[in-house]
Amino acid sequence: MQFLLLSATGTIVTVVIAVLAVGLVAFGIGYQIWCKKKGKSSCGCDCSSCGGCCHSHKKEKK
Amino acid sequence: MLRIALAGNPNSGKTTLFNALTGSTAHVGNWPGVTVDKREGVCKKGSVPMAVVDLPGIYSLSPYTPEEMIARNFLLEEKPDCVINIADATNLERNLYLTTQLLEMDVPVVVALNMTDVLQKRGDKADAEKLSAALGVPVVCISALKEEGIRDLVQAAYKAAQTKRAGTSVLAQSPLAHLIDDITIALRGKGVAHPLFHAVKLAEGDEPEVKAHPQEMQTVEAFKKKCADGFEGDYEALIADARYGYITQHFSAAVSRSERSEKLSASDKADRILTHRVWGIPIFLVILFALFHLTFAEDLFYLNAIFKIGFDVETGNSVLDSFVAVFFSSAGVAAPGVILFNLMGFVCTLAGNGIASGVSAAGAADWAQGLVNDGIWAGVSGVLSFIPQILFLFLLLSILEDSGYMARVAFILDRAFRKFGLSGRAFIPMIMGFGCSVPAAINTRTLADEKERIMTNRVIPFFTCGAKAPILAAVCGAIAAQYAGINADLLVFALYLFGMAMAVLTVAIMRQTTMKGEVAPFIMELPSYHLPQLRSLMVHLWDKLKHYIKKAFTVIVASSVVIWFLSNFSWNWQMTEIQNSILHDIGAFVQWLCTPMGFGSQLGKFGWVFVVAAVTGLIAKENVISTFYVLAPAIGALIPGWDDGESGIGPVVALMQATGITWQALIAFTVFNMLTIPCFAAAATVRGETPKGKFRYTLAFWMLTSYLTATAVYLVLTWWWTVFILLLLAALFAAYVALRNRAKSCPCGR
Repeated sequence: MQFLLLSATGTIVTVVIAVLAVGLVAFGIGYQIWCKKKGKSSCGCDCSSCGGCCHSHKKEKK
Repeated sequence: MLRIALAGNPNSGKTTLFNALTGSTAHVGNWPGVTVDKREGVCKKGSVPMAVVDLPGIYSLSPYTPEEMIARNFLLEEKPDCVINIADATNLERNLYLTTQLLEMDVPVVVALNMTDVLQKRGDKADAEKLSAALGVPVVCISALKEEGIRDLVQAAYKAAQTKRAGTSVLAQSPLAHLIDDITIALRGKGVAHPLFHAVKLAEGDEPEVKAHPQEMQTVEAFKKKCADGFEGDYEALIADARYGYITQHFSAAVSRSERSEKLSASDKADRILTHRVWGIPIFLVILFALFHLTFAEDLFYLNAIFKIGFDVETGNSVLDSFVAVFFSSAGVAAPGVILFNLMGFVCTLAGNGIASGVSAAGAADWAQGLVNDGIWAGVSGVLSFIPQILFLFLLLSILEDSGYMARVAFILDRAFRKFGLSGRAFIPMIMGFGCSVPAAINTRTLADEKERIMTNRVIPFFTCGAKAPILAAVCGAIAAQYAGINADLLVFALYLFGMAMAVLTVAIMRQTTMKGEVAPFIMELPSYHLPQLRSLMVHLWDKLKHYIKKAFTVIVASSVVIWFLSNFSWNWQMTEIQNSILHDIGAFVQWLCTPMGFGSQLGKFGWVFVVAAVTGLIAKENVISTFYVLAPAIGALIPGWDDGESGIGPVVALMQATGITWQALIAFTVFNMLTIPCFAAAATVRGETPKGKFRYTLAFWMLTSYLTATAVYLVLTWWWTVFILLLLAALFAAYVALRNRAKSCPCGR
């Protein structure tokens, strides 16, 4: 019984790790795309040094 | 909601006031030109919330620079309810030049006399009432830095915004007064907003105004023909002269100067040494080296090298020994940056052991354990362990920036590098590149010359950014650990300087070939030195920390999982040995390309390892480190731990030992990563700042420069004596040819 329980726990943990890994990759890629679309800052970090501006903003023309 | 615009000269404290009004943490720098675009926030300090717009620093409203265009377009087109004009009270006359232009607009203006605390310290006095009476608008004394007078300013702005105001001019006594009046009446008749402002600009011959009002321009031309003046028709100069004349006559009385302020200030005295014609650059190099020494030196102040004080502490308790080694080892006393790095490495090792035993105890499958321990955690901890050390370096760099020294660096480098085709103005975004290439590339908008802007954008990535710093720290630390007599701090310092030298060299080459042209003149107001503000320093560090954490848990973790998967699975989706993995095959396919740089085919079966690391670095440079940390266990490298006297750089040392890569090739690898295409974010920003169709040349420039330079570095370091002899022979041959040609061209025939 204990062996079965341990085995089931192991399987659940393995499945959770697999799902987590896939989720992390999806999140990592999705976050970059979201930041790009949002256009707040080009690297997604929105640091104060970027001044809230981004490469996607139209530059002022003379 | 009422909309208030903040306008003023560069480095007059607009962003500091913006932060004080809105509670924001926008980047503040003690040099002109930090803000290159407008930004918006909400001020809740008054009776009603107001939108506040921070405009870039400008000296005038003439459309000469992108910042002036942004500010002018906003003020004319977006019609703010009130303009707060920030004037540096310590340089009042020059700051009031812009004020006289703002007064010509039909918008309520409130003048904020900033830095009055500095003025008082000098023993000078500003009379706000006298100035207010002369200008005809409210004047409030403030100290944005100390947040003094802010509520009074908000109230004054709110009150001013309730009433309409017609533009007023200080040019009533100028010879052009009648002309300006005539055009103003004509424009008002047409229903043009801000008629006085447009009339003055039209008289100046302002390009956009001439295009917008051709009919009124004819009046100006007719006036020019009729009236002779001492300015040969240059009405812009005439108007500027009239403005300064009026300012001197009417406004200078508002500031009374003490005898003390006539003497040299402490800043001036410091500048006599720090910006000295001869000693300026050596002092800069010494300061820069001190920064790297405090961050990367394992032997602080070289005490061990001199007095032989270092030894390994052995108490019999491995955890205690490891903890003591954080501060002290056979190498000597660790520098503060190294202590922080060791501490983080120590914590990461303990956390890694905890995670490993937790996953194992839970009974997860072997592959899942490998994914967690050697994939996700190895990659993330690899980057995390460098964060405190790099943050420490940034703290020191921020102190230099906030104190006002970095502005001097641009000034002293301008003098030295002007002959190579680089101006000091271009150095400001380059120096910003030490932090991150993204804001640095955005800052190039302030460069008026297009060629200079393109060149600067190309070389900004050569200034080692925060993401590349861990590569240098890891590689130099590993080399220092493997080879006695090499100091990590000296090596990092040399590589930083190498990046800067490459920037200067490539600009010089571009100036001689594809980017010929004159170097733009460099005029910059040197800000006074002041003690860095703790809040400002913390904002800088918080930015960096946020940057690393976000990247570590998004891009890095995702890349680590992918790299682990590709290095553990074969093409038929089966778990396999690394030699049969997808990553091995991809890396091996292109590894020959890196052979000239020393980290390709000569590494035998591990030739692909560094190729893969370099490629993953294109996504984010931190990925190079995470790839090292994932691949080290994957290739079966024996990772030295704390017990072996290695801290967080253990996986890099292990990779060196397992692959047999030489230190010369590792340096070439680092140089390649420093000079090649930056991360996707930086490349995208540079693309946005480069004229259409030119970015492909920039890409080619990065690839060629990095490849050729890394190859040259590898060859020179590996066969330095051969290269030295060849260079000597080449120099002798060149001298012989030169002498022979000279002899031939000599008219006497001798």
